[in-house]
Amino acid sequence: MAQHSIIGKPLAMIESGAKVTGLGKYADDLSVPGMLIGRILHSPHAHAVIRSIDSSAAEALPGVKAVATGKDAPRPYGILPIGHDECVFTKDKARYIGDNVAAVAATSAEIAEQALDLLRVDYEVLPAWFDPLLSTEAAEHWLFADKPRNIEKEYHHNFGSVDEGFAQAAFVREQRYFAGEVNHAAMEPHSTLAIWEPDGRLTVHSSTQVPYYLHRTLAEVLEMPMSQIRVIKPLIGGGFGGKSEVIPIEIAAGVLAKKAKRPVKITYTREEVFLAHRGRPITVVDMKVGLTRDGKITAVAARVVQDGGAYCGYGPVTVLYSGALLGALYDIPNVRYDGFRVLTNKPACGAMRGHGTVNVRFAFESMLDDLAREAGLDPAEVRRRNLLKAPCITVNGLRVTSYGLPECIEKVVERSGWNAKRGKLPYGKGIGIACSHYVSGAANPIIRSNIPHTTVHIKIDRDAAVTVFTGASEIGQGSDTMHVQIAAEILGVRPARIKLVAADTELTPIDLGSYSSRVTFMAGNACLEAAKNMRAQILEAIAAKYKMDPALLDIRDDNVISLDDSRLHIAFDDAIATALEFRGALVAKGTYAPPEEARGGKHKGAGVGPSPSYSYSAQTVEVSVDTETGQVRVEKIIAAHDCGRALNPLTVEGQVEGSVYMGLGQALQEEMVWDNGRLMNPSLLEYKIATTLETPEIESIIVESIDPEGPFGAKEAGEGSLAATIPAVANAIYDAVGVRINSLPITPEKVLAALRVGASFSSPSSSCSSRGSDGGAK
Amino acid sequence: MTMPAFRLERPRSLADAVSILATHGPDAMILAGGTDVVPNLQMKLFSPRVLVDIKPLAKNAQLASIDWSPANGLRIGALATLTSICESPLIREKFPVLAAAVATIAGPLQRNMGTVGGNLCLETRCQWYNQSDFWRKSLGGCLKKDGPICHVAPGGKFCWAAWSGDSAPALLTLDAEIEITGPQGARRLPLAQFYKNDGMDRIALGRDELLTAVHVPARMAGRRGNYHKLRVRNSIDYPLAGVAVSMHVDSRGICRDARLALTAVNPAPLLVKEACEWLAGQPASPELIDRVAQQAIRTAKPLTTSGSTPVYRRDMVRVFTRRALEESWRSADGK
Repeated sequence: MAQHSIIGKPLAMIESGAKVTGLGKYADDLSVPGMLIGRILHSPHAHAVIRSIDSSAAEALPGVKAVATGKDAPRPYGILPIGHDECVFTKDKARYIGDNVAAVAATSAEIAEQALDLLRVDYEVLPAWFDPLLSTEAAEHWLFADKPRNIEKEYHHNFGSVDEGFAQAAFVREQRYFAGEVNHAAMEPHSTLAIWEPDGRLTVHSSTQVPYYLHRTLAEVLEMPMSQIRVIKPLIGGGFGGKSEVIPIEIAAGVLAKKAKRPVKITYTREEVFLAHRGRPITVVDMKVGLTRDGKITAVAARVVQDGGAYCGYGPVTVLYSGALLGALYDIPNVRYDGFRVLTNKPACGAMRGHGTVNVRFAFESMLDDLAREAGLDPAEVRRRNLLKAPCITVNGLRVTSYGLPECIEKVVERSGWNAKRGKLPYGKGIGIACSHYVSGAANPIIRSNIPHTTVHIKIDRDAAVTVFTGASEIGQGSDTMHVQIAAEILGVRPARIKLVAADTELTPIDLGSYSSRVTFMAGNACLEAAKNMRAQILEAIAAKYKMDPALLDIRDDNVISLDDSRLHIAFDDAIATALEFRGALVAKGTYAPPEEARGGKHKGAGVGPSPSYSYSAQTVEVSVDTETGQVRVEKIIAAHDCGRALNPLTVEGQVEGSVYMGLGQALQEEMVWDNGRLMNPSLLEYKIATTLETPEIESIIVESIDPEGPFGAKEAGEGSLAATIPAVANAIYDAVGVRINSLPITPEKVLAALRVGASFSSPSSSCSSRGSDGGAK
Repeated sequence: MTMPAFRLERPRSLADAVSILATHGPDAMILAGGTDVVPNLQMKLFSPRVLVDIKPLAKNAQLASIDWSPANGLRIGALATLTSICESPLIREKFPVLAAAVATIAGPLQRNMGTVGGNLCLETRCQWYNQSDFWRKSLGGCLKKDGPICHVAPGGKFCWAAWSGDSAPALLTLDAEIEITGPQGARRLPLAQFYKNDGMDRIALGRDELLTAVHVPARMAGRRGNYHKLRVRNSIDYPLAGVAVSMHVDSRGICRDARLALTAVNPAPLLVKEACEWLAGQPASPELIDRVAQQAIRTAKPLTTSGSTPVYRRDMVRVFTRRALEESWRSADGK
């Protein structure tokens, strides 16, 4: 194995100093002269025609500098080319409580809020749809006239011979699973500062994971050329997918700035974060799995209904991931998938950490546990008996190149003392196991273009600082530090010599953004290529000057040295002076696009799921259950994650722990509660993300399968560990007290109800836990 | 989030504070630690013209100190922070139920800011009420604020917003009295009479009065006690139900005197009066404990004011009552 000096070493994230001292600037920290404060008017009705808007009183209020409504920005947009169904301010009708109707910019927040009260909107209230299963039976009052029965998209996939597969099984189970809706709950609420520049250009500082998509969308909606718009991503206080599509705030700020010809800042309240949402949808999973007597999975059939809310957003991608990533974890010969993305009068769902895979994984891993028990087999052993033989291509066309799942399972089984504990702990205590996986970047972009997915530039000037220009977005996951490490490793210099310029569309080349766990794999590979290119340029110059073979030169510890016995030893600063004399300028580039063979099959919807590589996770969870209160205490979690190679073990562990923490929240506590389309808990007081007190010791184990195509063998680390946590908790509860909870979150009340019935517990008779009178007038 | 416009008054003395309150009547509101009032102002639940910030009066030692004497018992100034109470060695030793309850209030940051007076005067809470201005407007308001109906019990004209403080039930089990200061000077009132069990009109405090101290009689010192709180998270959260017990157990394991109080299941913190009667003179027995727990359920009338269901909250009142009583008896055995 090659020796690395920086790769594989724990390096504190380069922006951590700015974050802990408070010197770092998040979007809401920004302030410029003449800045106005923007506020958005949200619909109070779940479904209502907007007959008219009278803004005269608001406009007349002293201090109000602009009022914008649908007619100011009529062009629809959306993150997917197939779903341009949103306008920044809805023009025809409001489709959820919180839908964006208008906005004002004023000299103070107080005046802006007063102005909102002065906007007179004439609504005609319509019957609304809240339950995804009832919504698909709607005969009228659809959210969109061209989406009959409120079905946004449906996909039907059939690989292998599913019926034959079930016929071969000794054990077949069918069960409905339910998962409540969850939000990313990033600490930083969304914030945008849009500056109308004196020369008629627009600069937008925004809390975005996807500056390039924001750049494009701003140009489309504001009807300005991209060349006249600059998007800058400041520090981000967490994204988790909630900032991975264009959020109305960003366009609203742009529209107001253009109209007022002034800078406008809008920062969401926490309630508005929940209303903008784009989180994980309410999901109903009808799962069917067949197992042979010796524990081989013969077939899987899943029917998934996702409650997408009012707009398309990433929705079709969410529902496709749910089906596609039934594959690539285990060796499953026959797969049938029916996925429905349904529209309801609630905020739009979208991408959230583990996008689309999490709720289906909960269902599958819970069922596999039950099947193992039915077959009299150890659940860990059943998982071992269904491993893929990588490299391979799955039945649904996913290419698996590196596969650390076997080692992940072995590690957690060993570290947890699984064999001594499973089924053997006293009543009330239990241990569970589950696995999960995720893409290391979507192999297919969501834009229709053949440009590289990412490009990195490097330049070195006379100061011998290495400046790396990347469009990739640091959102707390380690993107910036990863670039620094790769560039420093290849160029043989200290990380301190690397200066990073990131996520500023005026300075940095295109990167598609921080979503689908693509940055390390894709931007990392581009950075690797650019650094290698730069290294070659430097060594070529030195070789020319000293009449040596460049292959015999190396750069180590900030010095160019010779590998033969010539004892050449040139300080990096001097080497750069020489190289600049030789070349005139030192600039290099690197790009990355996934290989053709990683881009998946040809069936409808085949574009989602393929990735150049997949990460793997196995986890054990130990719980104790209070049988009188139903309260579940998680005692310990051991998570083994195959990230290919840990470029930075510190950040990998942080990502694994963060994923487990979020999974745990969804497993036990978090749920957006609805009443007739009204979110009952739009605050961090009532939306129950876990505190440190509910978070157990998490032991993360790094497994390195060294991916053949990843930079230094690296794959993703930020998402793949989330999904396993939830079923591992459910399985541990079963081991502890013998009840199976098929509904998330697993609240004490559900556990207690199941203990009293002495059997499994699904959601109450209604398909969804939300209350509502669907289709009834409100 | 913005707050409604108000004028901030910073009285220099207690008398000054009383006079400001008397001048402005219903237009004035008291601000102490601010952990309840400020979020509520941001949600536009109140629109006081004058906000009277009494926190600077904490410099007046009487208003923030914790004093004990065998003759006069315990006196806690209303501006004593919650942290100073739950970390007081004196209170932990002599009044464990109070230390235990206060330690569960919100999180450490709020306990550093929040005061015992504030916690005893909390606004009642309801999921239909503790929401933003936008949210409540989209609903059409509720009985407690700007609306014609109670969404918890739509037929009635009564507000069921739940009393959601943790210190009050503990102090009820200690027969606490409060000191109220108004234009006529100070008066004492049993804490149990302070609460009106009405979600809209929660406490018996005049518009020109301040709660200035809490007194616990010396005879309650050294009692065993504990507090069980139902919540989703082990920090930050308000109670969904809470049970406080204080008990005097003699050397033979006989309960000489006991108090049991509930919180978050009614618009007031309430003593379970029968518990006092039934437990006195009795040894621990599962039958007795069950009987008291059943009675606690009858006192608890939780409705859908919070994220948890009434059925579960009542259930937990029973479980927690049993546990609290068992623990009190057990810890007495150990002495």
